[in-house]
Amino acid sequence: MRSPPIPEMATQEVQLNETLAHLKTESDTLKTKLEEERAKLHDVELHQVAEKVEALGQFVMKTRRTLKGHGNKVLCMDWCKDKRRIVSSSQDGKVIVWDAFTTNKEHAVTMPCTWVMACAYAPSGCAVACGGLDNKCSVYPLSLDKNENLAAKKKSVAMHTNYLSACCFTNSDMQILTSSGDGTCALWDVESGQLLQSFHGHAADVLCLDLAPSETANTFVSGGCDKKANVWDMRSGQCIQSFETHESDINSVRYYPSGDAFASGSDDATCRLYDLRADREVAIYSKESIIFGVSSVDFSLSGRLLFGGYNDYTINVWDVLKGTRVSILFGHENRVSTLRVSPDGTAFCTGSWDHTLRIWA
Amino acid sequence: MSGKMCSGSNSIIQAQKLVDQLQIEAGMERFKISLTAADLVQYCQEHRRSDPLLTGISASSNPFKDKKTCVLL
Repeated sequence: MRSPPIPEMATQEVQLNETLAHLKTESDTLKTKLEEERAKLHDVELHQVAEKVEALGQFVMKTRRTLKGHGNKVLCMDWCKDKRRIVSSSQDGKVIVWDAFTTNKEHAVTMPCTWVMACAYAPSGCAVACGGLDNKCSVYPLSLDKNENLAAKKKSVAMHTNYLSACCFTNSDMQILTSSGDGTCALWDVESGQLLQSFHGHAADVLCLDLAPSETANTFVSGGCDKKANVWDMRSGQCIQSFETHESDINSVRYYPSGDAFASGSDDATCRLYDLRADREVAIYSKESIIFGVSSVDFSLSGRLLFGGYNDYTINVWDVLKGTRVSILFGHENRVSTLRVSPDGTAFCTGSWDHTLRIWA
Repeated sequence: MSGKMCSGSNSIIQAQKLVDQLQIEAGMERFKISLTAADLVQYCQEHRRSDPLLTGISASSNPFKDKKTCVLL
């Protein structure tokens, strides 16, 4: 027979439950208030404001280069600021630096793990960062000497307790922002490997992140398996805005070039645009015929076009203002897993599970 | 303290964090979509001429597009 609870503990338990119930009521009230405040500002739709804007003409975009060399699925890629070099990473454990003009491989590193899910080019063009199932983010300085073993100079910077899903240098080679399957994002000092700030708030794996474009803004946005997109203050570690309208994992987030909005791509087969100053979703880019998830999104330089890479092997090009699809591009023979527009906007690059990367213009 | 009490106080800490977070978000200054969307449109319009993928720049200025070779007859 179980002994009855000590009266003191019983009272404590009752108090605990009362406090919890009170806090739940408070958070529910706040959530309702937030929805009401956001709804008040919903006086018009984006496409209505854009009615007078000229419609876009026909687009002819083709594959201009195909980069072959990876032995397995391409998972991530990033452009160098010089607008011609590209770093890509693959399930085969390799990280390759390419000259996109000539399609030549300039460097190759073999990582100790497979599934290198994230890679990024340093702003100086002198290093690349990468990581994945090893739960780390490592930085490799790129040597001018092609014969030099890059792996020898490797520097381990970030340590998470689950896979690395994305990484990005901040304004310099000195700091890296990471997101992880452990549900957190983190800011690291490259030289010392020290954790500068951590960002807690996602309830599940964080899959993607993007840094705000302005050099003065100190914010970034992240998306995760909890269907939320969170905007963070890099200095305080605080989540300052949160959006939860997607119906499934958010695989990709990208800021609008002005920094006042961001787009997201999700397994729910839609891309969405969130306006940061109105604090709400202002557009959904979807079609009944599109039923496969979006893996990655990026804007053209002016923000008028949104490119989405999909799991049905295609790229859909959307008119951001009018909400309509302007083009659908075919070419890859498996899922498009990563997509980035070049720094000068002359082309965009896609990476795919078909082992290749393609440059489109 | 029993295990139940420990997890109870953890739940309270988490619930309090959620309330604090929501209070921060509720206190934010927001603007009407008619105003903010107009800014998004304006940005697009102002930068449309310098967007190569939008305007479709010619092969001679796009390094990725192959230039057609000249044939001397």
